[in-house]
Amino acid sequence: MTVKTETSSDSPLATTLTRRGFVKIGGALFVSFALPAGFRAQTAESRASLQTNQLNPTLLASWLEIRSDNTILIRTGRTETGTGMSGYYTQVIAEELSVRPETISLIMGDTDKTPDGGYSAGFLSGMTNVRKVAAYTYQALLRLAATQLGVPVENLSVVDGVISGVGKSISYGQLVEGQHLDLKIPVTGELAKAAPGKWVGVDGLDGLTVTGEPPLKPLNQCKVMGTSFPVPGIPDKVTGKTQWSCDVTLPGMLHARMIRPVTLGSTLISVAAVDKKQLPTAEIVKKGNLVAVVSPNEWEAISAARAVAAGTKWTDWAGLPGSDNLTKTLRAYQWNAPSESHGKAADVTAAVAKAAKKISASYEQPYVRHAPIGPFVAVADVHSDGSATVWTHSAQSQGLRARIAYLLGTTPEHVVIRWLDHSGQYGRTTFGGDGAESDAVILSQLTGKPVRVQWTLQEDMAWSSVSPGWVSDIQAGLDANGRVIALHSSFYSPHMMDPRPIGALLAGMPCSTSKPGGWVATEWPYDKIQNRLEHAYGMANLGADTTSSGLRGNIMRTPGQRQQNFALEGLINEAAAAAGADPIQFRLDHTTDQRLVDILNATAKAAGWEPRRSPHSKARRTGPSPVTGRGVCIMVRQNAYWVGIAEVAVVPATGAVQVTKFTIGADCGKIINPRQLDRCMKSGVVMGLSEALREEVTFDKEKVTSTNWSRYKILTMEEMPEIKVVQISRDDKGFGGGSEAANAVCPPAVAAAFFDATGVQARRIPLAPAYVTTLLKG
Amino acid sequence: MASELTLFVNGAKQVVSAAPETPLIFVLRNELKLSGPRMGCGMAQCGSCSVLLNGEEIRTCITPVSYAVGKQVTTIEGLPAAWAVEKKLSAADAAKTLHPVQQAWIDEQVPQCGYCQSGMMIAAVELLAKNPNPTIAQIKDAFTNKPPSPHLCRCGTYAAIIDAVQRAAKAMKA
Repeated sequence: MTVKTETSSDSPLATTLTRRGFVKIGGALFVSFALPAGFRAQTAESRASLQTNQLNPTLLASWLEIRSDNTILIRTGRTETGTGMSGYYTQVIAEELSVRPETISLIMGDTDKTPDGGYSAGFLSGMTNVRKVAAYTYQALLRLAATQLGVPVENLSVVDGVISGVGKSISYGQLVEGQHLDLKIPVTGELAKAAPGKWVGVDGLDGLTVTGEPPLKPLNQCKVMGTSFPVPGIPDKVTGKTQWSCDVTLPGMLHARMIRPVTLGSTLISVAAVDKKQLPTAEIVKKGNLVAVVSPNEWEAISAARAVAAGTKWTDWAGLPGSDNLTKTLRAYQWNAPSESHGKAADVTAAVAKAAKKISASYEQPYVRHAPIGPFVAVADVHSDGSATVWTHSAQSQGLRARIAYLLGTTPEHVVIRWLDHSGQYGRTTFGGDGAESDAVILSQLTGKPVRVQWTLQEDMAWSSVSPGWVSDIQAGLDANGRVIALHSSFYSPHMMDPRPIGALLAGMPCSTSKPGGWVATEWPYDKIQNRLEHAYGMANLGADTTSSGLRGNIMRTPGQRQQNFALEGLINEAAAAAGADPIQFRLDHTTDQRLVDILNATAKAAGWEPRRSPHSKARRTGPSPVTGRGVCIMVRQNAYWVGIAEVAVVPATGAVQVTKFTIGADCGKIINPRQLDRCMKSGVVMGLSEALREEVTFDKEKVTSTNWSRYKILTMEEMPEIKVVQISRDDKGFGGGSEAANAVCPPAVAAAFFDATGVQARRIPLAPAYVTTLLKG
Repeated sequence: MASELTLFVNGAKQVVSAAPETPLIFVLRNELKLSGPRMGCGMAQCGSCSVLLNGEEIRTCITPVSYAVGKQVTTIEGLPAAWAVEKKLSAADAAKTLHPVQQAWIDEQVPQCGYCQSGMMIAAVELLAKNPNPTIAQIKDAFTNKPPSPHLCRCGTYAAIIDAVQRAAKAMKA
């Protein structure tokens, strides 16, 4: 790739060459480039660097290193969440440096080896950081080469890491060999620290931001971005070489199994004893209501935990409303003022008052669960000096570090978080809380040994934080032509952001509390609807006044939009039906946004959509034979435009709803990796249909009852429909969020298709047989 | 109480000391350091812990190690060697050849988080041994309806898995 670059003679970037020798970053020894030989070595290293385990983010070497063999190492506090982030980061960096992506390797998420922190789900901000670092480096390398080769910068070009001009050339590796590139990276912001009582209880979750405006490669001249570069970690995952967080083994490590209270509000009365004849190495460890059995042998820990749990006594408690009463409970709650509002109430009230037709509807969603296949697991080693090292798969290493430090009553500098791959979290660890880490830290502190805590599935489904249920009310006014002229939406839910670690709560150790509150998440796609009013209301967790804090809310993937768009798009579909309009044409009539228009038209074409009103002329709510329908929805989020078109078959007599085909379209600006986006769109549809058709966390008055895969059903391979994908890539709109959001475009489209097939509005999910049968009976 | 048990894992004889009722997964992971089988539900509901036992998929989270004594255990770490033996590859070729199912999983970029994918590949190897040319419906059926439970993927990679099984089927016939 040949790129002409602009250089400025008064560049603020002072580039000098110094002898590398033993380069230090912020006092810490330069990290090893070789992969650690084993976790023993990691422990020794982390102990040695505990006092100086924070990289200086203003030094280039904290972010990026070019080795003499022309390979490049990048450090980012963000992690691979399973959506291909490690590939996208690599592509973006390769593009800015004009190198082959295969030459780049990443260190992700280790707090002592990466500079910036930040949300792993926040690809757009994380990518901007490393993109700018790469761009600054590229400019510096050009200036160095100009000096070294005696060729003006404007005569230089770079292909695959080799700088050439006027018949001379030098590789990046040759240019920096034995040298230290002393380039200052401008940054702003702060790393995470505990902030009790504020938002999620931790400040600085955005991490650091690289500032300034280095020249970036134009998106219409990309060579690496826009290709389907393979995600780097996949071969090791496929061959068994990946070291997952569940694989961490330390010398002297104990395996632990937790014994949880019998209800969400029980407190400990007495712990049963271990039968030492049968289980000689098992020991009970407890603090407050935190009870565990530890043993050097994992099976012995499990066997002992089962026996001890059976004989351990807890107080009674029955303070939950029961999931069947969720909506009633939310309806009965005396909501305070909205925590977020948009729009002018007077204008909307006046517009609705003069509307030719008024529609109002309420929508409901149950508690749902992130539900990874691999339950939480963590290893912690709390040292005698009070510092700690934690091995984890949290998607917020710096946030977790802040929470663990708060728990231990120390500062974040005394905690090292090491990140490894594990089961996807889908937003569960986005705020650095929840998980087995606090259990492991507390048990390690109590035993003086490294402890590995592996949760069971039942424990994960009953005790991890959970994505709260919602109730939404929407009123709309239509004019005489059937156009929506005003819309008022109100969203209500229990606490959405309380990922406090359960181990610390049960042990009665310090936990940084968060603040309940809702927020308006939907990005408004219909600019022709000028009068709108949006309110979001929040309340405490259900069962909040207990030692466990009850159902700790922790909103999952595509947060907010997923819930609010279900109501908003549900209402738009109802309005289209009231207007007697085709639902796609109805949407086109309410927007001037050309990106939305284009993706709607392209997706409709791919789906073979024929314009007509809903419901279908053959819609039917009774009978043993299937009736079919189709429905649409859109979503705008993070500079990305989404369209979902569902086709369903409903058997009214049994309540069975099958999605037979789903067409999904996305315009997320410049597509970095078309194949990976295709994979993420299809897999997101699977998750979204799972939510639309199957998922509901159930609980009685004492505890969560949907605690395994036969009680918390998710979509199986056989239930997956044919999925068609439509992508629009644009070089002039920057980057949008593409990897996560597909799940959110399923439920409204499925509900619309259900209405098309049956003529009955489905304003609640999941569309499971019992609910559907009741609904169709009327 | 622990006993000395003899297993054949990925073609090698292994003598381990474990209580006979210990689920096989803990012996494979903790004693033999094989991280392919991973703990999921612990109750044979998800498939993330699957291995082949004499060529048949089993769930190691509920299978006592004593049940595997004297039988051939194959984890994903052993799939390349199993393929090399089946195809009578030279040592040089074997060293650079993955099992076609693994190669297809890479070529189709199947894993997202990847946690369940060991079990998915094990299920694919078993399916292709019995049905070298499965239709999409047959793949869906095998991954959903074969006892004891469906193979679950929370990331939702089912479409990619179907693509990869079909790619592997072609490669294995070549």
